Amino acid sequence: MSAVPSLERLSSAGSANALELRGVSRLFGALAALSDVTLSVRPGERRAVLGSNGAGKTTLFNCVTGDFSPSSGVIRFFGEDVTAFPPHERIRRGLRRTYQISSLFAGLTVLENVYLACRGVSRNRFSLRRPRRDDTLQHAAESLVDAVHLSAVRDRLVGELAYGQQRQLEIALALSGAPRFILFDEPAAGLSPTERADLVQILTSLPAHIGYIIIEHDMDVALRVVESVTMMHNGRIFKEGRPDEIESDPEVQELYLGGGHG
Amino acid sequence: MSDFIGRRPIWSLVILIAVALLLFLIFAVWTPWMELTFGRKRVFLSALFNGITLGGLYFLVASGFTLIFGLMRNVNLAHGSLYLFGGYVGYSIGNLTGSWFAALIGAFVVVALAGILMQVLLFRWMEGQDLRQTLVTIGLSIIVADLLLWGYGGDTFQVTTPDWLSGPVQLPFIVALRSNGEAVMMMYPLVRIAILIGAIILGVAMWLALNRTRIGMLVRAGVDDRDMLSATGVRVQLVFVMVFAFGAGLAGLAGVVGGTFQSLQPGEDTKILLSSLVVVIVGGMGSIPGAAMGALIVGLAEQFGSVYMPTYAVMLTFVIMVVVLAIRPQGLAAVRR
Amino acid sequence: MALAEPRLAIATPRPREGLAEVIARQGTAFWIVAALLLVMPLIASPFWLVQILAYAMILGMIALSLMFLAGYGGIVSLVQMTVAAFAAYLVAIFGDSAITQISLKWPWWTAVPVAILLATLFGTLSGALSVRTEGIYTIMITLAIGSAFYYLALQNYTIFNGFSGFNGVMPPVFLGIDWGSTMPFYYLTLGCAALAYAGVVYVSRAPFGLALQGTRDNPRRMAALGFDVVAHRIAAYAFAAVIAAFAGVLLVWYQRQVSPGTGGVGPVVDMLIIAVVGGLSRPIGPFIGALVYVLLRTFALDLLDWVGLEGKRYQLLIGVGFLVIVLFSPDGLVGIWQRLRERYRKGREAQDAQMRTGGGAS
Repeated sequence: MSAVPSLERLSSAGSANALELRGVSRLFGALAALSDVTLSVRPGERRAVLGSNGAGKTTLFNCVTGDFSPSSGVIRFFGEDVTAFPPHERIRRGLRRTYQISSLFAGLTVLENVYLACRGVSRNRFSLRRPRRDDTLQHAAESLVDAVHLSAVRDRLVGELAYGQQRQLEIALALSGAPRFILFDEPAAGLSPTERADLVQILTSLPAHIGYIIIEHDMDVALRVVESVTMMHNGRIFKEGRPDEIESDPEVQELYLGGGHG
Repeated sequence: MSDFIGRRPIWSLVILIAVALLLFLIFAVWTPWMELTFGRKRVFLSALFNGITLGGLYFLVASGFTLIFGLMRNVNLAHGSLYLFGGYVGYSIGNLTGSWFAALIGAFVVVALAGILMQVLLFRWMEGQDLRQTLVTIGLSIIVADLLLWGYGGDTFQVTTPDWLSGPVQLPFIVALRSNGEAVMMMYPLVRIAILIGAIILGVAMWLALNRTRIGMLVRAGVDDRDMLSATGVRVQLVFVMVFAFGAGLAGLAGVVGGTFQSLQPGEDTKILLSSLVVVIVGGMGSIPGAAMGALIVGLAEQFGSVYMPTYAVMLTFVIMVVVLAIRPQGLAAVRR
Repeated sequence: MALAEPRLAIATPRPREGLAEVIARQGTAFWIVAALLLVMPLIASPFWLVQILAYAMILGMIALSLMFLAGYGGIVSLVQMTVAAFAAYLVAIFGDSAITQISLKWPWWTAVPVAILLATLFGTLSGALSVRTEGIYTIMITLAIGSAFYYLALQNYTIFNGFSGFNGVMPPVFLGIDWGSTMPFYYLTLGCAALAYAGVVYVSRAPFGLALQGTRDNPRRMAALGFDVVAHRIAAYAFAAVIAAFAGVLLVWYQRQVSPGTGGVGPVVDMLIIAVVGGLSRPIGPFIGALVYVLLRTFALDLLDWVGLEGKRYQLLIGVGFLVIVLFSPDGLVGIWQRLRERYRKGREAQDAQMRTGGGAS
């Protein structure tokens, strides 16, 4: 469970983009939730995807993780064409995601949730043998729980946790195994100001080789933890740039930030 | 239709050739060589017509089953019991009144009422718990089977065919040529043809009702997305009760139909339930056109199977089911979600 | 898929423990039942040992394989009885029976493993065929597969000997013991049932079982954690099929014959009834359900006479009993027992609390 990526992974990471979408579209009947999206993110790059509700941000995530297959287009993950891969194959290659609405196993404890996540990306998923007490995965799970500041509630059932703690647990699940790229779907939604500060701290202290895309409505969180921004509208990308460029762009202000920043 | 041809040119061609071949087989005078390979033409034709009319019966049963499943996610394993119940009720009414139509309508009404009772007393209290609903239908099917056995005994019954429907009728298909060159025409029981026509009319009417009326739109919307149905503020329970009543009534009506050209006896409920299962698995759950397609396929497979490979006739239908499951698990006519 | 309410709790994963720890953890009820089962031959008549207890344990094993899939995986498979019937047939075909023109007369130590292997393969393939569709659909597909097997056995004479099936299938004589005689057969069945029970309990808390329960509660999330949900479900079918196949071997040794009716629609549905009546939330449920079922089957005549009905109305009794359980205690007899115990515990706690406060006031 060491976080050191293998040599082979390093070499492939050096040569290709972490994530690359070419002409990806997704139709729901006649409605195009995504149309012709082309996007590339370098390894280790951190990017925000902004846009109003229904702009296609979550559909974009679902296409990348394989929850939906795109109607057309190609998705590459570290140079490998994963368009036709089922979700678990993408996850095993180092892709992770969190869900907008917490999607956890309420009947399990915090530690067990994280343990399950560590199992999912390890070998022996089908193991019929129970783990030993000094199991390495158990240790990995414990340190992940520490990393998201949940050690105090480690053995509590997830169903009993406060909302903010559940969101933190979502992040812990996404950090299990050896992630190379993470999709965060509105991680700050519903969090208190202190919890938001916590979240920013967790995100900025991630190892440098882990890149991510974050969907976030809270500009203060989103623009502080990324180096590039993609703006989406009606299923299309209409602007990309650095956070300060986007913030000062008159068109963006007009369309998205509206009077809020004026 | 043209859309299908555009998307699947090869399949369209195959279907077209198959249809042409079938028409040729039906209308042509068979050569000795053909009689040698396919057997007598009379046998072939009666297998074909028996298959189609049997498909009509299966459609009557399976359309109610598929509608109830599609809307309520209720796998009604008591559907076969409703069929047998309807058959017995129709038999009794027919005996009392002497009218076949009274039997048909009486069975529909009585079994529809039973369906309403099932929905109101049982299923509406366990909405969304599909396993529990299915278990309840299993319990009901065991109880009903034993009650019917208690009431009607183990004998075989047949609903009397009315005079104006009995006897064979001549069809415009040449079966063979006499030595003097005179054509022998196909003779076929009128009642089976009437039932087939009835099933087709009912199927078209159901399709129209589902696609052209407000209540039909609601039902279809509910099949696609149940939450949407409740979100529109419709009295969902009323729609559910109506659909359950109609589906159950259809099963009862089919019982009379089946009792007319087959027979009624204990065990028939399980048989017809299994046929309906295969029909809807092959056709696709919740779809009326799918039920029609599946019913036709299963009916034909059973009849041709029993003529050309009698040992494995019943197996043939299951083989078809397994193949469909392996290639298109959602069924032939179902839309991909 | 919405399983019977109330929701089943996920069994917590436990680190591997020594046998001593496992033994020490068991409550008194466990020890009483275990001791009772072990000394049963001293107190019970051969009829009770074999016709009631051994038969109930065999049916319990088949229902246990169904409970494993339904309770932990949310997959309601009706094919388990068919797997058992298939294994039973294979023992008769590869081993010895009165149908000498078909049976191959292999010794039992080759016939039985091959039978179990092939039956497991059959169960796994059925699973692979039905897991591609979701939820309640499974129940229909597995029922259809089960009846396909029934008709195959009924109509095929070259392998399955059609309507009459095979009779004269004798349990082996091994280590100088006739395993078909009362006491050895009882202990053989008890051993197999105990193994199957322990296996299910153990696996339910191993990573595999834990992940299976995850796929039951939230399959999409499991995929997003890197689990192959379909493969997990098929593997669960394979595990369940092993148990059902062992039970099938015992079944043919118990009945000394096997016919299409062994895997007919009736027994197939009966297995679901047994598992549900016993309770789908715990591995002990199917065995309790099987015991009740066998007792009812054996004594229904007297019971019905006593109520004032004809003995023939046995099916009615089963149907009504099943319906009552499904309507009023969806987690079966085990659920009733748990609720009673909970109420008793709460009652006593309340009493204790009252006594404490009462004591404080005086």
